Amino acid sequence: MSPLELWLKSTYLSHMMHTWWAWPTAESLHFFGLSLLLGTVGIFDLRLLGFARQISLPALHRLIPFGIFGYFINVVTGISFFVGEPDQYLYNPSFQIKMVFMTLAGINVMLFYLTMFRHVKTRGPGENAPLAARIMGGASLVFWIGVLSCGRLLTFFRPPTRWCPWC
Amino acid sequence: MNVFALFAFTGWIEQTALSVWLRESPSLWAFPFVLILHTVGMGFLVGSNIALDLRVLGFVPRIPLSLFEKLFLIMRISFFLNAGSGLLLLIAYPTKALTNPLFYLKLALIAFGLAGALMLRNQVIRNPVADAEGVPSRSKTVAATSLVVWAGGVTAGRLLAYTYKFLMAGE
Repeated sequence: MSPLELWLKSTYLSHMMHTWWAWPTAESLHFFGLSLLLGTVGIFDLRLLGFARQISLPALHRLIPFGIFGYFINVVTGISFFVGEPDQYLYNPSFQIKMVFMTLAGINVMLFYLTMFRHVKTRGPGENAPLAARIMGGASLVFWIGVLSCGRLLTFFRPPTRWCPWC
Repeated sequence: MNVFALFAFTGWIEQTALSVWLRESPSLWAFPFVLILHTVGMGFLVGSNIALDLRVLGFVPRIPLSLFEKLFLIMRISFFLNAGSGLLLLIAYPTKALTNPLFYLKLALIAFGLAGALMLRNQVIRNPVADAEGVPSRSKTVAATSLVVWAGGVTAGRLLAYTYKFLMAGE
């Protein structure tokens, strides 16, 4: 094990994750957080793409803080899994691709708020989002579903049961 | 049902070609893909219910209640996606699910959650005066209960991986 893994495994959090209750609890929270994210950011993305156009974009945007709350739950529980069993993630190709999707999703969020949000904010009921914003909405759905899919595939790529082309 | 009859039944399902393929195929399009579908469906079903509950509780007041009718399309699609993918997961490991009390609790919680969504639809979404007169307090109770019920359903589903007594009938 690398020094980083040894250190992570020596932390209090890592020990706590190996109690009988911590892992299942964190898993349940992780799935609830994922639902919060899809139910707010996912629905907003669908609206950007043209679904439920009668709902005004700025009004629907008020759901986003609850999605950020879900994201926060998932960052905390996600870090806990990683600290609990670092070697199960570091060398897992599914985890590595998940991090790529998370980075892409993050860049997409940043671009959206830097360039498109001020235009979207003024769109009322029945109005379409600008084309660039629609593309970002579609990209957001693809990236977050990518994050979720890689998360679900983690157990099927647990090292060393499956060969990883680059690990 | 008699335990022996249950195991005979689930053991028979486990030997069908579909069950064997789902469980044993090395393809990511077998069990892993069904799991992904079930999780995406869960996210949208539970997520859109949370959005509805939050609106009824008054957190996103600027969206007219009647427009939440649109959310029911997402709920319906994700529910049928999850009924289908859930049935496949059940066919893959019938003994594992049917011998675990939490599996029945999960189904009951989903039934309660769906009943709550239908109640909110009748009480506020399809109520033409709800926007003007405000949400009745009994609907707020339904929405708050719904949040707890869906969180419980997600938790029960997640715990199925940790709490099963028998993986397959042959054991």
